[in-house]
Amino acid sequence: MNNRKLFIVLSLVPALLLVLVFTCYPFFKGIVMAFQEYKLFDLNNVPFVGFDNFKAAFDDPKFMHALTNSAYWVFVSLFFQFVIGFALALLLKKPFRGRGIYQGFVFYSWALSGFLIGMIWKWIFNSQMGPVNDILMRLGIIDERIGFLSDPKWAMVSVIVANVWYGIAFFAIMLLAALQSVPGELYEAADMDGAGTVRQLFSVTLPYIMPTVITTTLLRAIWIFNDPTIIYGMTNGGPAGSTHVLSSFMLDKIIYAGDYGAASAVGVIMIGILLLYTIFYLSVTRSEKVGDF
Amino acid sequence: MKRFTLIGLKGIVLALYFIVMAFPLYWITITSLKPQKDIFSVPLQYWPKTLTLDNYVNIFKISKFHVYFANSLIVAITAAVIVMIIAILGAYVMARFTFRGHRQIMLAFFATQMLPGFISLAPLYLMMSDMQLINNRFSLVLMYTVTLIPFSTIMLRGFFQRIPSSLEEAAMIDGCSRFTALLRIIMPVMLPGIASTFIFAFVQNWNELFLAVMFIDSEPLKTLPVAMNSFILKFDVNWGAMSAGTVLSVIPTVLLFAIAQKFIVSGLTQGAEKG
Amino acid sequence: MRRHGRKTVGLLLSGVMMLSVLAGCGGNNSTDGESANGGGKSDGETVKLRMVESLTSPKRTELLQKMIDQFETENPTIQVELISPPFDQADNKIRTMLAGKQDLDVMEVRDLNVAEFVNNKYTEPLDAYAAKWSDYATVTATAKSVGTVGENLYFMPSGLYLRQMFYRQDWLKEKGLEVPETWQELVDTAAALTDSSKNRYGFSFRGGPGSNGTTDTMILSYNGDNVNLDDSQFTKDGKTIYSTPEAKQAMELYMKLYKEASPPDSINWGFSEQVQAFTSGVTGILLQDPDVIQSLQQSMDEGTWATAPMPKGPNGKALMAAGASGWGIPSYSKHKEEAWKLIEFMSSPKQNTAFSKDYGLIPVHTAAAEDEFFKTGPYKTLLDMGNQPDVFVSYKPAFQYPGTGQWGQVSAESQQSFLLGKTSLDDLLKKWDEYWANEKTKMQK
Repeated sequence: MNNRKLFIVLSLVPALLLVLVFTCYPFFKGIVMAFQEYKLFDLNNVPFVGFDNFKAAFDDPKFMHALTNSAYWVFVSLFFQFVIGFALALLLKKPFRGRGIYQGFVFYSWALSGFLIGMIWKWIFNSQMGPVNDILMRLGIIDERIGFLSDPKWAMVSVIVANVWYGIAFFAIMLLAALQSVPGELYEAADMDGAGTVRQLFSVTLPYIMPTVITTTLLRAIWIFNDPTIIYGMTNGGPAGSTHVLSSFMLDKIIYAGDYGAASAVGVIMIGILLLYTIFYLSVTRSEKVGDF
Repeated sequence: MKRFTLIGLKGIVLALYFIVMAFPLYWITITSLKPQKDIFSVPLQYWPKTLTLDNYVNIFKISKFHVYFANSLIVAITAAVIVMIIAILGAYVMARFTFRGHRQIMLAFFATQMLPGFISLAPLYLMMSDMQLINNRFSLVLMYTVTLIPFSTIMLRGFFQRIPSSLEEAAMIDGCSRFTALLRIIMPVMLPGIASTFIFAFVQNWNELFLAVMFIDSEPLKTLPVAMNSFILKFDVNWGAMSAGTVLSVIPTVLLFAIAQKFIVSGLTQGAEKG
Repeated sequence: MRRHGRKTVGLLLSGVMMLSVLAGCGGNNSTDGESANGGGKSDGETVKLRMVESLTSPKRTELLQKMIDQFETENPTIQVELISPPFDQADNKIRTMLAGKQDLDVMEVRDLNVAEFVNNKYTEPLDAYAAKWSDYATVTATAKSVGTVGENLYFMPSGLYLRQMFYRQDWLKEKGLEVPETWQELVDTAAALTDSSKNRYGFSFRGGPGSNGTTDTMILSYNGDNVNLDDSQFTKDGKTIYSTPEAKQAMELYMKLYKEASPPDSINWGFSEQVQAFTSGVTGILLQDPDVIQSLQQSMDEGTWATAPMPKGPNGKALMAAGASGWGIPSYSKHKEEAWKLIEFMSSPKQNTAFSKDYGLIPVHTAAAEDEFFKTGPYKTLLDMGNQPDVFVSYKPAFQYPGTGQWGQVSAESQQSFLLGKTSLDDLLKKWDEYWANEKTKMQK
């Protein structure tokens, strides 16, 4: 083995080995349950049932509803997180007094855990005891309290607001780090060409940080899709199932029904959706050009 | 004139953003300073009528908050450091070389991000139990490391790609080995990327709840998220303790961020071409 | 297969450990405190018991630890390690520990999950141990019944809870209203207390998880004498309780309770909002278990609230079930004798009465009811209800059906849909009827 090969192998082995043993192996063990009737109430009797769990999922109108909700949940959250996060990164790029403190502030929402965020926002949006309704009433903006989490028209909006609040920080910080790496010469050249601020943004900045943009938006989309904690904490999927997304629907199967077979099947479907999405996304953004694949 | 309005606009936007975004933080902080009776009193108090530090005193009295805090620090930092070492090596190789299986590895790393964790929780528990690692902090260090390797490798690889390979090639011509070139020449330029990846890795470890609940039994080994979760009672959420705990639990992350951001913004702006 | 896996894992692990030592992460292997995987006999004759609780709260953990300390002093050869997972995650954790056969000798079992544990053969029947226990004679029939599945006793309750009514004394007085005794009166009183412009509502409604605590109770009380008390989701003629005209009446009233006397937002409230609304003065009437009393005492002024018995149905009966959690022994425990010794100690009249007083439960021994403490204050109502068994009729909840676990969720979701006007009353009851008829068929197979 030559030096180059040895270097490659030695550098990659720890990462690959760990992921293989402690991520892939337990996951495949878990996935077997998708093809079993695996209920916590009766663990001595877990027969293989083929694709029954998958059929049951697709036959369930709640599953289909959660599927559509997932699309809203991911894309609306992602859009606002990215746009606001990117805008912040641009505003924070040039030094100004208090920038450090402001950045610390931007970051703090990311420092909280999903379960805390769910609990805090559930309180903030509570009609009777929460501050948002109270402030709007006092300011005379509304006459009647709004059921942010109890009115199906509002509930989905409310959980998305909480999610946007949480996720802006990730984009702001990651994109800021990327922006810092754009060589100043590029801007000087653009200045000489007489390009304005907006044109510089689209012709210099964006293309340069495109790899980061693609990776971060893809990763966030996957994470948002998979994370049930905020919805779980705020609405528990309610009222009447109106805020269930696939991940919370799956958690529901585990916690209330103790049905790991059904949950695992939903999990497998979720992975299928994400894989398709990733392939689609990477080919649309032509990431191979960016050098990522 | 144009410049002036632009700066003004920027200030207004940042200030507006601040007000909207700061509200939950403000609300939690004032809650932590209210006596139990006032926390849910109606009409709501936007400034505590009675200021008290009782909630802070309490979380050290009713629970061993300092112990959990220390445990979380140990676990989160150790795992984040190990992740960085493993991921920097992996990311560097993935950025600089192409070889058979290269594309598949990247895809596999992305794919690991798609796996819903709840499904593998039970099999993982059995593995840890077989390895006699239940109720041992090493199980958390191990699992947090593993969980973060793919994300960190993906992120760091992006940063490596932006650094021209002429940098370390020059150093290698000067007689450095690839490893020393990586260590001495590339790492300093990589600092913004490493710092930002590290901080995200740390935060994820710091907040992890489900594995910590499962793997750790005894009080002296419990981590902070588990302790905070136990403020949820059968009929009640102890918001006094919860809010005080939240305020304290954010401190290390924000401090670490304050340190890290020096590197994040120190920037490659000058660095890239100087090397 | 498994052996082979274990070996591979071990090999890989040693590699990983070496890596982490190289990376400067040695010394992280915990040696703190209690030895992690102990449980065997450590030195000489000393036996180490591991015990896990489920309804964790700081105060409760402290009380348990106090009992354990005393037990250890009296039994110097037995040591006990108490594991206290957060309440929110505890049942899930205990279940995982049992599936992984982690060392465990005493565990908290709840009425909600005892059937599941028994079905999976996780729990040891306690009858043989109890037969040798002198104080078992004074354990109340209710306590025995809650801990029993089929023919055997599987856990020894650490105290009983029974739902009662908490109401704002000052609000009722202000409006000149009587304390409601029936569900109809409750709805009328609550509606009279409601003034949404003042953000004041009569009833602390809970439409989220646990809503069947109200719907099922109402339907049971409306069905009254017709309910099969041993199989309480069904009537005496074997139909579900949801199929009767009484069920329809109950749910019509339930709709009124939500529409006219409860905060609109409460359709999605869970336990914490329900209690917080009461303590913060948004709502006037709350139905809850006695362990909520301490929260009320902490956050409300004395004299503003009082307790009353549960409301009755139209025929003057209220059906109620005592809930409980208690101590059981995992079937694979290596120290069952010592484990029972600890359970016996904690369940003795002296310890149990003290624990019940401090934590707010009904003791499991008959004699304890004579205690002054339970004859006054907020606990008195509980005894009063207990003393009128023909009015407050006790039934056995249907925990033996595998579908009970999911019922709370199914019931809550469809009930929300009904309250939002998306499901008609007939469809709602039909759905519930089918759910339980189906459980019955599965059970009989």
